[in-house]
Amino acid sequence: MKKIVQNLKSVFSPRTVAIVGASATANKIGNVLLRNFIDGKFPGKVYPVNPKYQEIAGLKCYPSVSSIPGKVDCVIVATPAETVPDIVDDCAKKNAGGVIILSGGFEEVKRYDLAERIKKTAETSGMPVIGPNCLGVFNPYTKVDSIFLPMYKLERPRAGGIAFITQSGAVGSTVLDLAAYYGLGVSKFISYGNSTVLDEADYLEYLMNDKETDIIILYIEGAKDGRKLLEAMKKVNKVKPIIALKAGRGAGGQAAARSHTGNIAGSYLAYQAAFKQAKVTEAEGITEVFDFVKIFHQPKPKGNRIAVITNGGGVGVLTADCIESEGLALAEFSEETKKIIAKILPSYGNVANPLDLVADAGVEAYGKAIDAMMADPGIDALLIIILTQTPPIDERIIHVMTKASDERTKPIATISIGGTYTEAYRKILESKGVPSYNSPNAAVKAMGKLIIYSRYCEQLKKAK
Amino acid sequence: MTLVDDFALLEKHGFKLLPYRLAKTGDEAAKAAKAIGYPVAMKIVSPDIEHKTDVGGVKVNIKSEDVLRLAFRDITQSANGKRIEGVLIQKMARKGVELIIGGKKDPQFGHMIVLGLGGIYVEIFRDISARICPLTAADVEEMVSELKVHPLLEGARGKKPINKKSLETLVLRACAFMLEEDILEMDLNPVVFDEVGCDIVDARFSR
Repeated sequence: MKKIVQNLKSVFSPRTVAIVGASATANKIGNVLLRNFIDGKFPGKVYPVNPKYQEIAGLKCYPSVSSIPGKVDCVIVATPAETVPDIVDDCAKKNAGGVIILSGGFEEVKRYDLAERIKKTAETSGMPVIGPNCLGVFNPYTKVDSIFLPMYKLERPRAGGIAFITQSGAVGSTVLDLAAYYGLGVSKFISYGNSTVLDEADYLEYLMNDKETDIIILYIEGAKDGRKLLEAMKKVNKVKPIIALKAGRGAGGQAAARSHTGNIAGSYLAYQAAFKQAKVTEAEGITEVFDFVKIFHQPKPKGNRIAVITNGGGVGVLTADCIESEGLALAEFSEETKKIIAKILPSYGNVANPLDLVADAGVEAYGKAIDAMMADPGIDALLIIILTQTPPIDERIIHVMTKASDERTKPIATISIGGTYTEAYRKILESKGVPSYNSPNAAVKAMGKLIIYSRYCEQLKKAK
Repeated sequence: MTLVDDFALLEKHGFKLLPYRLAKTGDEAAKAAKAIGYPVAMKIVSPDIEHKTDVGGVKVNIKSEDVLRLAFRDITQSANGKRIEGVLIQKMARKGVELIIGGKKDPQFGHMIVLGLGGIYVEIFRDISARICPLTAADVEEMVSELKVHPLLEGARGKKPINKKSLETLVLRACAFMLEEDILEMDLNPVVFDEVGCDIVDARFSR
């Protein structure tokens, strides 16, 4: 199995790709796939495979994978389930690097016989097989894209450090679309469907050593092997943070449970336990996945003492409330910091945390306050509230925040509450790698998760 | 398997239980209570009764033989025609915080341990924390800190904190027991903790 996992590299970084079931008819899956590689400017060679055609979109079409001359690194299969085992056998004979099976019609409709044949071929040949019944793979670095949803309907995100492992194609594709919308960068997208050959634990192991990945999002409905998943999460989360989203979280135990424990301990409780034991960060919904992912790109804080800067008193108080309820601490400013702040504030201002720069505050005041706090050893992290509605705030604030974030001294997150105008600011900030939230609750909760994970990494370091 | 069989297996695995005896008659009950020492608790032992409290099959804090004999009659009548093997006479537990230490074999992750606020309202409060076996001492510490009842364990309102070491020992023993006997479901509930140690008041499990 280890060898199969290592062999996944040919699927993610192929020089040659074959598309089995390629079609000349617009909007057919076999055509969308081909378009992905042509329009997506895949730098390698693409071979359409379909005995019905001589040529599709100007490319020579082959009757089978084995009839393609030279090496084939990655084969994408989108033909009816009945035909797939023979195609996989043909791929193994051809010594293909790996296969992505998009077609459905296997375990999910009780065709275990077809799935079993694929599994056998993969295991004897060491050829990795992703799927079936999935969206497959997207890698913005190499332009491999088996997502059969047209690009004009589902925007592809830019290249970056976030990897997605998703059981569900539907959730996976919406998350991908949202990542593109928020301007987040993706390293690998893996929709693995039935996990006939490789399961979520295998993909975690692969991503642990993937240079382009620094954060892993895991969407899971039901693990194939819980124990294996737990061990993989423990191992991988020590190297790269995993953010997990579990679907099917109902608390219900078995109806026939004979004990109190049987009644209260449903399957989700076991997942929760596993996440906690592996110190994996669990998100409670898609929105939270993004809330957490954004902040995990920030440097790791040394503690839980937070400084709050605001240009509106009320939002500062709301943020302080959240800090308290999340079990985090409001930092105590040093004498040096207090002196600097006193000079920034108007005569009626108050040197305190949350620091209210008041609505008159301009971009410069933010810059000076942030510099002072970055230098203050009593502060571990900064939450910066920017109410973009006040007259003095203009686009220069983007530069101030980007600078604070790029220096990577301490983690920062910004909070901007508002409508369309404010959202435009948030999107620009996020595209520059500055985490931006539309509520104090979301920002504080995310910061709390980063603090917990950082503490864990610190413990690991000490234990070494 | 009845309560008495369950207790015997637990003792074989090193669990320390409160002194107990099974009594089939009022006279046997009186003799048992005298040997154990008042006050005692009395529990119906029946393979047909799941929730002893719900049918009136449990009497606690019995301080004298007169009351004991009356209670014995009430309990045996509460069986209402169901099979009964007798009444368990058990030393009264210490007073303190009631916790549940539960176990379950999850189809995905295998054996797991649940720690929570115990007693008869476990399902209502659902103040629980779980971990997959095997557990470490650090896991137990984390589980304790995750409970809402946590401040009570640390000694709220002038009370002394509970003996954490005895909790840790018990949870780790429960974990080993689950694995060794391949238990499907287990309740040690309630287990009463104070600053000195703990008493396992009731136990049940299925294999």
